[in-house]
Amino acid sequence: MSIEQRLRIKDEISRNHFKRAKPLMVLGATSGAGKSLMVAALCRIFSDMGYTVSPYKSQNMSLNSFVTKHGEEIARIQDLQARAARREPRSHMNPILLKPIRDDVSQVILYGVPYRDMDVDTYYNIFIPSRGKEILEDSIGFLKKTNDIIIMEGAGSPAEINISDIEIANLKAAEIAGAPCILVVNIERGGAFAYLYGTIAILEQAQQKMFKGTIINNFRGDPGSLKMGIEKIEEMLKLPVLGTIPHMDVDLPSEDSMDISNDEKKGLYTVGIVRLPRISNFTDFDALGLIENVSVKYITEPRDAKNADILIIPGTKSTIEDLIWIRETGFEAAIKDLHGKTPIFGICGGYQMLGKQIIDINSIESETKIIEGLGLLNGCTSFDKYKKITTQVEGHLQTDPLKRRIRGYEIHMGVTENKIDPPLNRVRVDDRNRDEGSYDPEMKVFGTYIHGFFDLPPARELLMSLIGKQMSECKAPACENEVDGIIDENLDKLAKAVKESLDIEWIMDIMGVPE
Amino acid sequence: MRKNLMFQSTLSGSGKSLITASLCRHLSNKGYNVSPFKSLNISLNSFITEDGSEIGVSQAFQSWACGREPCHQMNPLLLKATGNSATQLIVNGKPSKGFCSRNDNDRKRLMSIVYDSYEFLEKTSDVIIIEGSGTPAEINLSDVANMATAEMFEAPVIIIGDIDTGGVFAGLYGTYKLLERKHRDLVKGFMINKFRGDPSILSPGIERIESEIGAPCLGTVSYRNYRFPEEDSLSLGGPINPNPLGDDIRDVWLKNLDLFLENMGQEVDFGVLENIIDRGI
Repeated sequence: MSIEQRLRIKDEISRNHFKRAKPLMVLGATSGAGKSLMVAALCRIFSDMGYTVSPYKSQNMSLNSFVTKHGEEIARIQDLQARAARREPRSHMNPILLKPIRDDVSQVILYGVPYRDMDVDTYYNIFIPSRGKEILEDSIGFLKKTNDIIIMEGAGSPAEINISDIEIANLKAAEIAGAPCILVVNIERGGAFAYLYGTIAILEQAQQKMFKGTIINNFRGDPGSLKMGIEKIEEMLKLPVLGTIPHMDVDLPSEDSMDISNDEKKGLYTVGIVRLPRISNFTDFDALGLIENVSVKYITEPRDAKNADILIIPGTKSTIEDLIWIRETGFEAAIKDLHGKTPIFGICGGYQMLGKQIIDINSIESETKIIEGLGLLNGCTSFDKYKKITTQVEGHLQTDPLKRRIRGYEIHMGVTENKIDPPLNRVRVDDRNRDEGSYDPEMKVFGTYIHGFFDLPPARELLMSLIGKQMSECKAPACENEVDGIIDENLDKLAKAVKESLDIEWIMDIMGVPE
Repeated sequence: MRKNLMFQSTLSGSGKSLITASLCRHLSNKGYNVSPFKSLNISLNSFITEDGSEIGVSQAFQSWACGREPCHQMNPLLLKATGNSATQLIVNGKPSKGFCSRNDNDRKRLMSIVYDSYEFLEKTSDVIIIEGSGTPAEINLSDVANMATAEMFEAPVIIIGDIDTGGVFAGLYGTYKLLERKHRDLVKGFMINKFRGDPSILSPGIERIESEIGAPCLGTVSYRNYRFPEEDSLSLGGPINPNPLGDDIRDVWLKNLDLFLENMGQEVDFGVLENIIDRGI
């Protein structure tokens, strides 16, 4: 679109629209605080209430861009937020997109169109001081005229005191929009109260006054346990905690994960580890990275399992609970589908799951007393009494004619009996030799209790020999179209959960939106 | 006077374990008998020692860094979340039932176990490098693993801030400000970890924090994708250094630690850390 055309449209809009949207700025104490999805949730919540809503982020640094119907390039996350608001994504929602080209140099996309490549110095010391304010005023002004509500997103932390005078994505944008600010903190790694307090208290007085509330995000457990901390932080900051949002497993891309998947180096072969909710001892898989051309991926979606050349079910703190999870999430069907085509390993709890049955009559591990296993091996595991086996082991693979050493350690409750499948290892424990683990004679399924199984070369060589064998067999191509349809459903799920945990009326009050 | 130093951090996953291992390695290389110590570890990645005791895998790694065989005294309490809010507490390397950290009596018993383990290690060590757990500023929890441990063993504390996710100055400032006054006095310095780029741009922020908390910045450690045992499922899926450097993963971890230490030596003044250990609190 030419500049003349753009100006004409802008003019027309100014004449025909007098709306003055109420803005709200969502800031994060760290990156990955969950701002992006919080903005998406608020967009959907207000859209459900009948308001015309737009997301906004003045400046986004991302390699993942999206092209709008009008051919404008914006960050993908703003596209997702626009969908949440049920709006057509437009470049005004993300007027500046920085796409890193190499260290210190980015391509600057302005209103969806490549502008030029700039190094950090030029961008922050020349471009932003001369053009920043005008770009923000323009884009925010446009959205104000065409919406009831604007949900703005900050970038990173607003308290980067070493660069506060040159950044425009956080408090500067809020100031231009006249937006009240709320601060979101991710409690997952702890330190939430310290980050809330530190972020606001380290700012100048005038900036502190822009904050109207805080949100604790990504909490696991009983929110009641936070009560004391919340009261104390409300008192210290003189600001309300507007909600504690529980951890959610929604299938929506976070901005960071989108960037990681983009940058990730691809190995020739992939070992997929099923990302069990109670996964334990995943240091076991560090050694797989020692194999050339192999990358290790943690798989969270059943549909991704088929992209792995080898699939591993790892150890877990609770075999039965995670087996139920495997069943309910559709991983069981995916694993059974791959059986015979893709070699499958089970380590410790994963090994127990591969068998026919797990019996826990005395409810030592869980309330479920008997549960069918995946049935890929013929073992049967029983938890007879509260006995935990913890021992170092040493031995060799039965499949290794050279009997080279493997070593590791066992940590488990329950004992597995398997009189049908051959044992995988011969190990020495307390000066006694015994068989350990099992595999099927077709060499498609393997199970062992040994943590550190892959630490030394023999087990890694076994794994590679299986990949070689398997690559000669044909694999179905991956299908990726299923993703799109799920997004809307997940946005609803997200909005519902946020609405239940957040004081929306208070937020409307902060924004001055009439009910 | 006890010879020790404690690392705590503003977030879990800030790299305390690795920095602890590095200082252990450095002091061990200089000929000291060093032990790692973490009173309470919350982790699902554990290691089994020679006598069949279960400890956090990080303490095993730190122990190897000291050139020692791991023992349960290095991590007397290990808490394993079993899901659905249930947990298993490993005490002195063995599963144990019936402790509740909110119960004052139980808390005293746990602290005395922590005390005995430390005393045991002290007999065979010139210096003990202590690692905290999570963050010291959880105002809703009664803390065993951080300031209670530092106080009991009179350990000078260094706070590590993780700059990778941003907000590092806010995190350092907030963590310090949320501590009780007597605990603030134990803080003898701070460090910034996982930095990418030219550290000189941090100066205004660092100077501000130094003046706010009255303790010096001891260094800015660069982000490096080396291969170390992970403790926490939050760190799953990150990229890793492609250099194998060996056949046995334990050797690889130690070789990576030596590489890391070599670089860290340029970024952190180990002499100052040694002085802090000598001076104590």
